[in-house]
Amino acid sequence: MGKRDVQKILFLIFFGSVCFLFIMEGRGSAVNTPATSRPVTRRSKSYGRSCVEAPSYFWQTPGHLTVLKIPTSREAAKSQIITNKVDPEHIALLVKNEWKLSYVTPLYRFRHTELKSYSKHLSAFIIAEKHQGVAVEVGFEAGFKVTFTSVLGLAETSEDAETVFIQIQSKPVFAAAADAPKVVWRGWLTCVNGDPEYLRALPPDFVSLPLFCTSGPESLTTLVKSWFERAFDCNFGSLALNSTTLNWLAALWTGCHPTCNIRYLKLSWSLPSQPPLDVSYTVNPQDAWELWNSIHPEESTDGRIDIKEVQSFMNGLETHFFRHFKIYLSAGMLVKVSTALGSAQLDGKIKIGNSDYITTLLTMLTECALLKMLT
Amino acid sequence: MADLSNLTGLVSEPSGEIDSSVSSASNRSLRLAEKEKRKAEADPFRLAVKYLSQVEAGTVVRGNDELERNLVVVETVALSKGLPPEVITVLLDMALSLNAGTANCTRVLKFLIPATVVPQEAIVKGVSWLCVGKMPMNAQVLFVRWVLTVFDLIDCKDNLRSIYGFIFSFVMEENLGRQPFLTQLLALYKVFRPDLVTLSLPSRARTGFKNHNSTWKVALSAVQRKNKGAVLIDQSLDVKEKPSSRKRKLHHLAIPPLSSAFDSNSSKKVFRLQELQSFKELLENIHNIELPAQMGSLLGSSLALHYLDCVQDESAFLRLNFWLGHSLQEEFLLCPVDGSSDNTSEACRFLSTVLFSQQFLQEGFSSTESFLYKFLRVWDGSLLRPQILDLLSDIPLMPSFYVHKLLFEPMKQLYFTSTVFFKCSVIECLNSMLVKWLTWHSVSASDGGLDISLNSNSTMTMTLSGFMDSVMELVHFVGLLSSEGLRLENCHILLLNQSLAFYETVCDMFVKYSLPLIIMPPAGVFYPALFATDSISVDRLGYIMYRYRKNLTLAKKQEQQREKTPHISRNTYKEFNRNLQAMVNSMWNSWWCIPGSDLEIDKELIALSKVAEPWCRFDLIHHPALFSYAIEFHQRCWPERKDVDLGSIKTGKYWNWYMEFLFNQGFDGLKNFIQTNTGTAPH
Repeated sequence: MGKRDVQKILFLIFFGSVCFLFIMEGRGSAVNTPATSRPVTRRSKSYGRSCVEAPSYFWQTPGHLTVLKIPTSREAAKSQIITNKVDPEHIALLVKNEWKLSYVTPLYRFRHTELKSYSKHLSAFIIAEKHQGVAVEVGFEAGFKVTFTSVLGLAETSEDAETVFIQIQSKPVFAAAADAPKVVWRGWLTCVNGDPEYLRALPPDFVSLPLFCTSGPESLTTLVKSWFERAFDCNFGSLALNSTTLNWLAALWTGCHPTCNIRYLKLSWSLPSQPPLDVSYTVNPQDAWELWNSIHPEESTDGRIDIKEVQSFMNGLETHFFRHFKIYLSAGMLVKVSTALGSAQLDGKIKIGNSDYITTLLTMLTECALLKMLT
Repeated sequence: MADLSNLTGLVSEPSGEIDSSVSSASNRSLRLAEKEKRKAEADPFRLAVKYLSQVEAGTVVRGNDELERNLVVVETVALSKGLPPEVITVLLDMALSLNAGTANCTRVLKFLIPATVVPQEAIVKGVSWLCVGKMPMNAQVLFVRWVLTVFDLIDCKDNLRSIYGFIFSFVMEENLGRQPFLTQLLALYKVFRPDLVTLSLPSRARTGFKNHNSTWKVALSAVQRKNKGAVLIDQSLDVKEKPSSRKRKLHHLAIPPLSSAFDSNSSKKVFRLQELQSFKELLENIHNIELPAQMGSLLGSSLALHYLDCVQDESAFLRLNFWLGHSLQEEFLLCPVDGSSDNTSEACRFLSTVLFSQQFLQEGFSSTESFLYKFLRVWDGSLLRPQILDLLSDIPLMPSFYVHKLLFEPMKQLYFTSTVFFKCSVIECLNSMLVKWLTWHSVSASDGGLDISLNSNSTMTMTLSGFMDSVMELVHFVGLLSSEGLRLENCHILLLNQSLAFYETVCDMFVKYSLPLIIMPPAGVFYPALFATDSISVDRLGYIMYRYRKNLTLAKKQEQQREKTPHISRNTYKEFNRNLQAMVNSMWNSWWCIPGSDLEIDKELIALSKVAEPWCRFDLIHHPALFSYAIEFHQRCWPERKDVDLGSIKTGKYWNWYMEFLFNQGFDGLKNFIQTNTGTAPH
């Protein structure tokens, strides 16, 4: 594949004296489509059954019709000292890395009480796979040690299954005896504020941990996935985010600025020009927050944010950019959002910067995983 | 001892493919084969193998130049090209029997490099030599190591698996297990099957493997690289060589192999699906069959599908549907299909397997169904058309509102923007869907005829009226598609026939499927068929009208007999009578005027066409579809006549003869129609 000829322009804008003129759109109450759940009266030779109200999302749950709504409003990001709930050591594991996202279908007969034996099985599986077949190169990595741990406390509702963290350590053949084994791969399965209707509809044999985050070599990710597929009859698919999700994150994170300094709001666009143009747009956090506050006043009553407010916020940023550079960002694609609280990319890579806002991020990503699975 | 006559010509040509030289030799003339044989006999490698196979116990080894010479010949070939399966069997047997001494045993094992596969029997025989207990420890160890090295090249492992117990006890009891490479392997195996490995293993030993078999592996991979293409090996071997993007793409379309769950309780006696060989075995073990680790693997085997048909476990079907839904979605909705033929054929095979399974179970999977609703909205109408349409026809019954919204709306768009052949396939698909719905209804309708129990062990029901609504929706939809389609395509003959085939199903819903619903074809289908230029369509219409009459008569009879009867609307009878009248009038009475019908043609307008006696143009003689038969009949009756006067057919006995003549042409539909409606029917 040839390398894309990309013209990179870095825009640094200080809003300072720039005036904002906003036509405030009527902010009616959030449009909440009522949950529709009606029993479908027809046969099912227990093959599961579903119906849709197109173009909504839906899934198979036996004998149920479940319609998944794309939320048009959500709660403002709230800071919570997560280390009060979750072991700080565990949290530290999640915060460091960049994670590649996948979605997973429900795990069949996964038990949190069996993690020890899963550790043993998975390491045996990896070793067996690495040594299978004569054409495979042998002998570089000597041993693998897999550890499964429950990260208790990340779950928000009683329907959420507890997060599971997996770590693979390896000791190279030529390492000295005293050398500590090196962590070569990390991954975790999680579910935070998963759609309760969906989770309740699953039979008790299934555990839904729809979001899978990995960090490490692709070959190990593939092995771990295929072990899970065999062990729990589940399937993985890659989880790319859409720009609506990125817009939401930009607004939610900006809203946190008064309580936690977000330091910067950095947005990257890719414009379909010839040659393609990548725009990196960094906004002063205070300016970004003031813009946000003019759309969604801090003291607004119910604390919920509507998708329309998020759109106005992004429009505001885009309009401002246009005024300076005569480039319509809306013609391109928002590909990355980052602040000190975290970052998220269109291709499904995230970083968690500040653990106190982890719940908001994971809630959103859990939702994306569920939607993607059922699209 | 292996039959060496098999070896004729096996490795006679250094570059030749092994199999083709054998098969082609058998086809050639006897003389040529003889020549070939002589040539093969002269082949030093073959001669050497023959010699080695005949080495007997007690042969003097030391200073035996002949033995040495032959060993060198085979060794050279083995290391450069690898050994064919038969030769492996022969040599392994020779080596482990120690007929040529211990030193030569290890020597032979070291150059036993397979060119293609290792026959399972060779290994089984080898294990039996191990049990004889003559072999020294180092030879035993070497043999076990060799087996491990070539393990993935063993052609089939079922018999080998059944002697695992021997191998394990041997490895553990006979101190072979103290070999570090085996300790590690055993430790690994113990994780999966703790019941088979009783040895207690030091935890330190579990740190990993070293490459003990590197010389063999190097030789093997060198040989395999050379033989590439001809080598048939376990798929796991070349996984690494596939480009990763391709692998990932095809991954969704692979049906997983049948295998047991990791945590399968080995103490409980269960029968594993992958061990199932026959239907008889299935019946004998049906009470303790273990479901596989991945439910999707059931689709690959028809025996497993038999079992799936009796599985009552809700979770099992959910697992199957999760897998299938995920595969379909990843392949067809999330990954854009790049249109390469390779990929399409893979997809085609996958969908065909799904179709086969659905047809086997006589039921569509819900994941296929929900996939189709989504796929219909993005389908171009040509990608994998036969498979997609077949899958569509498997869509089970659902409430009419959803049928319309999810299925008919997107189908309508595709239908009106596609070619006439696509239109035909759509009508055919919907016909097949209707037949499936009706069949299901006639099987599962309860005696009362009002509520249909949807499943023996579920509480879900669909009322009869709900079912009828859906059927009505479907029939009206096809009515719309066919009449509009016929108009757009100038009454294309294929489309007309597909539409009539659909109405052949519709007209018999009451008699054949006991569904008290009779729906007449719209004028847009009826008249094109009545005035069609081909006799098949006219005959089909005759049959359809005849069946409608049967159905309506039965409904009427039931209505008179019992008070509580399914109600067929008066309008249906009226509609039928109008169609009947139109048909009888134009074909039989040479008379067009249908009082009170919507078909009033201005007489002056017809006069403008200057057609003589227009009212006769569609009778049984002048009808464009039957005209040629009338001419033929006329010629047979009056061969000497120069002027054709078709009117003379109508007179006297000729008319009856003409009728008989027509019926003998195979127009059973018309025959039934005419006989029932003119009172000449035998029954």
